[in-house]
Amino acid sequence: MNRFVTANPSKCIGCRTCEVACALAHSDGAGVEGLAPETFKPRIRMVKTADVSTAVMCRHCEDAPCVNACPNNAIVYRQHSVQVEQERCLGCKNCVLACPFGAMDVVTIPAVRQFAGMTLSLGVKAQAHKCDLCVDRAAGPACVSVCPTSALTLMDRNAMDETLRRRRERAALEAAEVAA
Amino acid sequence: MEKHMAVCPYCGTGCKLNLLVEGGKVVGAEPLNGVTNEGELCLKGYFGYDFINDTKILTPRLRNPMLRRSRDAAFEAVSWDEAIQYAATKLGEIKAKYGPDAIMTTGSSRGTGNETNYVMQKFTRAVLGTNNVDNCARVCHGPSVAGLQVTLGNGAMSNSIPEIEHTKCVLVFGYNVADSHPVIAKRIIKAKERGAKIIVCDPRKIETARLADLWLPLNNGSNMALVNAFANVLINEGLYNKEYVANYTEGFDEYKKIVDKYTPEYAEAITGLRAADIREAMRIYAAAPSATILWGMGVTQWGQGVDVVKGLSGLALLTGNLGRPNVGVGPVRGQNNVQGSCDMGVLPTEFPGYQKVTDPEIRAKFAKAWGVESLPDQIGCRLTDVPHLAETGKLKAMYIMGEDPAQTEPDLTQVRKGFEAMEFVIVQDIFMTKTAMFADLILPATSWGEHEGVFSAADRSFQRFTKAVDAKGDVKHDWEIISLLATAMGYPMHYNNTKEIWDELRELCPIFYGVTYEKMEGLGAVPWPCRDLDSPGSKYLYEGNVFQRPGGKGLLFATEWRPPQDQLTEEFPLILCTVREVGHYSCRSMTGNCAALQTLADEPGYVTINPKDAKALGIRDQELVWVSSRRGKVISRASVTDRTNKGAVYMTYQWWIGACNELTIHAVDPIAKTPEYKYAAVRVEAIADQVWAENHVQQEYAKLKGGLSNAVTRAAKKAPAYA
Repeated sequence: MNRFVTANPSKCIGCRTCEVACALAHSDGAGVEGLAPETFKPRIRMVKTADVSTAVMCRHCEDAPCVNACPNNAIVYRQHSVQVEQERCLGCKNCVLACPFGAMDVVTIPAVRQFAGMTLSLGVKAQAHKCDLCVDRAAGPACVSVCPTSALTLMDRNAMDETLRRRRERAALEAAEVAA
Repeated sequence: MEKHMAVCPYCGTGCKLNLLVEGGKVVGAEPLNGVTNEGELCLKGYFGYDFINDTKILTPRLRNPMLRRSRDAAFEAVSWDEAIQYAATKLGEIKAKYGPDAIMTTGSSRGTGNETNYVMQKFTRAVLGTNNVDNCARVCHGPSVAGLQVTLGNGAMSNSIPEIEHTKCVLVFGYNVADSHPVIAKRIIKAKERGAKIIVCDPRKIETARLADLWLPLNNGSNMALVNAFANVLINEGLYNKEYVANYTEGFDEYKKIVDKYTPEYAEAITGLRAADIREAMRIYAAAPSATILWGMGVTQWGQGVDVVKGLSGLALLTGNLGRPNVGVGPVRGQNNVQGSCDMGVLPTEFPGYQKVTDPEIRAKFAKAWGVESLPDQIGCRLTDVPHLAETGKLKAMYIMGEDPAQTEPDLTQVRKGFEAMEFVIVQDIFMTKTAMFADLILPATSWGEHEGVFSAADRSFQRFTKAVDAKGDVKHDWEIISLLATAMGYPMHYNNTKEIWDELRELCPIFYGVTYEKMEGLGAVPWPCRDLDSPGSKYLYEGNVFQRPGGKGLLFATEWRPPQDQLTEEFPLILCTVREVGHYSCRSMTGNCAALQTLADEPGYVTINPKDAKALGIRDQELVWVSSRRGKVISRASVTDRTNKGAVYMTYQWWIGACNELTIHAVDPIAKTPEYKYAAVRVEAIADQVWAENHVQQEYAKLKGGLSNAVTRAAKKAPAYA
């Protein structure tokens, strides 16, 4: 099973700590000083409506519409998650349109090449931009570790089994109450 | 990488954290397992440290003392010797000419710590000879202190922060915990998970309202009517604890007489709530085996704040929810050390440790300890009195430390006139602020992270914080600066470190005596009262239901509801209520210089408005709009949201361009002198030319930022001769 981060709306207070942690975890170690409104592109987004506050991010679907929609095989299953091979991304946005959660975006970053000690500009490079579960971060997803109300959880097979077990137990108890 | 233990400098939760330091620079923050935060931090705790590094995103750190010899001259960098001598001479002259009461000082409820605040009030009382010393509790929980001191005998939270998750009912009244204290919000969520009922009284659909079992969206300005109706239900439905009331309270008959009129049906018209919901709230509250009331600025920032605080404490008294674990009344302090400034006697009425300036024995004790013949016996003036007293010529000088009243006080036009009318203004801060632009002398201090000390968390817990990095530039610790000034004014004052100051004040304050630096080592937190060296302190107050009043009983108090003071008219038909947002803090001099926090939210800030009001005014979400009151006019960005009730708009108070305090009214509570920030009549207007408006915001913002930053760079460029 693919792992994914899930948000509990009954715990979320809409503070956006997860967004900042996400941006920093993908800043190549630049730290907070590298953050600026123009370049702030977290892969997790806090959504606030009249009745709901919660975070929305990639579900790492088992049969992922984004993977299926990519014409260049840039999106792949790896390490029990859905990952983007950025060098293959064309920026066509098929994946953005395919994702039912609005969890995929396409961003552009300045593309450069080193040649004879000089940095040459190659225009821009497109990137399919989504949650990568911080697969290269030893401590796991940054958003989960900072959430002040523990509204975010990393779901893997074990966590999912535990959730299912509790749900079944509750259903059984409720059924018993109805029978009684 | 080095790690240095600190306590977060933002809200009053008192979260313990490590500052991570590399090459003399703070590069990160990580949570510690402190008593109040248990390994959690919030947005500001994690990402609100880089202001220390002088990012200059909003405004520069101060590096040198700066003097302006006349109001039309530019600031020039001067030596400490010159700055201190200048201040001492000026203050001495003003004292000689107009008397000590022509001078006012402030403590700082922010990063400086308790020791500095102790030294500031000592300087004010022993050296200047006046009780004119106050802090920003005046514009915040002043009514909680004044109200609770009368009804229960102690102005602080009766419970501790960790207890909140073990209560069976939380009554949240005018308190947006998610934005003000995110880590305490977790306690409320945990309480709910453990089966507690959550009742929220707030006109807005705040985050806690979303999670509540019962949300009472009362009309803005109807608090007293609702609290009285609550008491009415408790009494008339026989839900109150008769034995508790008989044994531990007084004033029941008078109390009952007043609240009798406030039947839920009577309160419907004032509060806009259904009588059935008011009854339901009290049935839940009274049925809970343990219940806790938490409140914030929605209770205190009113012309009738003190009365409502007294009324809320009455609900706890009626139901016996005091004097044991997991119950109580919690005015949750907003700034990291606003509890501390009050503890340290940075109040015109009290010496440190809540000892009255009007008590001759107490005065004699402090006079002896401080080596002066006598101390002033008249209650000093309040922070909110300043503009008026300055304009009428009674106040001639002000020494402002670590506060930015030109941003945070109500009716800023009046505040500016007040500063202009004064003969001499000293601002002691870590940043160039809007207030510092009115100063004659600017004294640069070390920041949180550059010094050590003790903070008081909202729940009375004293905790130590340590220094992480060396300060850059020609700056000094706040308490050193005050000591130098005292010495220059003929009162030799010298401390080697904060512990010396702490030990001096412990000896003078019986309720703090047992709180030693050793006990607060590491993650140690000691809640006062702590009278003995072997006591761990008091997690909750009023043990055994003994109240700190003459006779030891709690006072039941009610009074008639008074409507808010500003008038809604056709010209100004909407209510403006000022609030806070999670990512920014106080006047924003700290958070505005943090890259992450400024990335999430920047000028001109938002005015939130209900979709129905927005539609009627032709305003669309995210458009710039004008907001005006009888006192001023500012530009802001509309956030059209169903969470905002119809008829009211909300703005956060830290923006320079969208400065809501240009609009607020200087109408104050008669006892606490706390302003009615929560109710100003305003008009909101669409702006047809949005391109012009966006440019206007950028230009004005750049002008303001440039003004502040140029004042500092120009002074530094004049190359101080002493350097």
